[in-house]
Amino acid sequence: MTDEPLVLGIETSCDETGIGIVRGHTLLADAIASSVDEHARFGGVVPEVASRAHLEAIVPTMQRALDDAGVSLADIDAIAVTAGPGLAGALLVGVAAAKGYALAAEKPIYGVNHLAAHVAVDTLEHGALPEPAIALLVSGGHSSLLLVDDLAHGVTPLGATIDDAAGEAFDKVARLLGLPFPGGPPIDRAAREGDPEAIAFPRGLTAPKDLAAHRFDFSFSGLKTAVARWVEARQRAGEALPVADVAASFQEAVCDVLTAKAIDACRAQGIGTLVIGGGVAANSRLRALAEQRAEKYGIQVRVPRPKLCTDNGAMVAALGSHLVAAGVAPSRLDLPADSAMPLTIVSV
Amino acid sequence: MTTAVELPALEDTHAFGDRLSRLLRAGDLLVLTGPLGAGKTALVQGIGAGLAVQGDITSPTFVIARVHKPDPARGGSLPLVHADAYRLGAASDPRAEIDDLDLDASMDDAVTVVEWGEGIVEQLADAHLRVHIDRRDDDSRLVRLEPSGGDWAERLAALR
Repeated sequence: MTDEPLVLGIETSCDETGIGIVRGHTLLADAIASSVDEHARFGGVVPEVASRAHLEAIVPTMQRALDDAGVSLADIDAIAVTAGPGLAGALLVGVAAAKGYALAAEKPIYGVNHLAAHVAVDTLEHGALPEPAIALLVSGGHSSLLLVDDLAHGVTPLGATIDDAAGEAFDKVARLLGLPFPGGPPIDRAAREGDPEAIAFPRGLTAPKDLAAHRFDFSFSGLKTAVARWVEARQRAGEALPVADVAASFQEAVCDVLTAKAIDACRAQGIGTLVIGGGVAANSRLRALAEQRAEKYGIQVRVPRPKLCTDNGAMVAALGSHLVAAGVAPSRLDLPADSAMPLTIVSV
Repeated sequence: MTTAVELPALEDTHAFGDRLSRLLRAGDLLVLTGPLGAGKTALVQGIGAGLAVQGDITSPTFVIARVHKPDPARGGSLPLVHADAYRLGAASDPRAEIDDLDLDASMDDAVTVVEWGEGIVEQLADAHLRVHIDRRDDDSRLVRLEPSGGDWAERLAALR
């Protein structure tokens, strides 16, 4: 036996109904039900579809997680749940379920920040996170650089996207190229057959005048527009679209800026650890380029395996476990869901 | 009666949003249209700057809608609801999806700006202003403002 905390995590901030169970840094169960297939039919997230799907999935997913981990609810030391940010209706389902389970089983509850959980999940793969670390969080709704000096109590935002998120750019470019939703995996696949230098797409906020005010911020709107213009010009000319080259060149532009700014943040802060999280961290080129550039400066890059990068319950459990170990007080049972929860708040 | 405005550069889109914001009052609905990359979010950033609201205005595609509270310290008094129906467009009944967002709950007290909302959100208010942005080959923009109901036509005269 071990005295490390056994923590259950519930995630319902967007598409996935995820319930994970961890003991300390050890992953015991990671059960997921996804409404992505339903959303794919609509070309995106549909709030009401998401809420309804969570409601239907949560009890069976809970049972599957407990079975996979070989534990019962009575064995659990604490329940963690994503309290924000995310879609309001979707968050509410998870928070209400967590409260119900916490009340019924008399367990402490932790309402946690979804983005901090994307950082914490790496502890399941690589063990305790050295602090301070720099975190690059890239997903459909977020693109942020964070200084993580104390993950249990708060993180310091260094920069973020000033327009579109990186994952959103992948989704929109995929649609331009006639590739399915979500756009990340099909662009990654198509790019492997393409030339990343075929088209010189813009790198947002990297010009000297932009760096002065936006050194650690991102902008992917101009890139999205540039791809749209390029594609439209080919279509107007009646030419076939070189999908692989466009995908590779677009992906290279995104990964180039993300990794350059993340490494710059590490060097500016004198930090030797870069952790990358969020759905876009599953991108193969982002992982490769980050490692290649970090090596030059002796920076260690930590990226969890793709399944842990996308939304899941294990990441929420991992953060909950970290909070319990750090002696952070649980949340009140009337904790609210906060769709716009700021990054500076790790648990409510 | 359509009002057309030329915007040579991105900064002009922002500045035009700022100018447009001076016409706005509680209960207003703006429906933004135009192709991918036309500058819809950039225009809302300008409107937000003019209204002096809190928080960074970024694309709401993923979260569907975001409410920006006014910043009284900078003279702000109107909340801005920034919504994006991009992901709702292909739903079987997108109007029901918009209703689920409960945007109407705050509409009377706020300025509501919806991207990709054409044909979906107009029923949220008695009147609205349609703002269509076109992106041209030289990267300049042409904005067309189409009033629909209310006193939009009179208010737009102030822009000329």
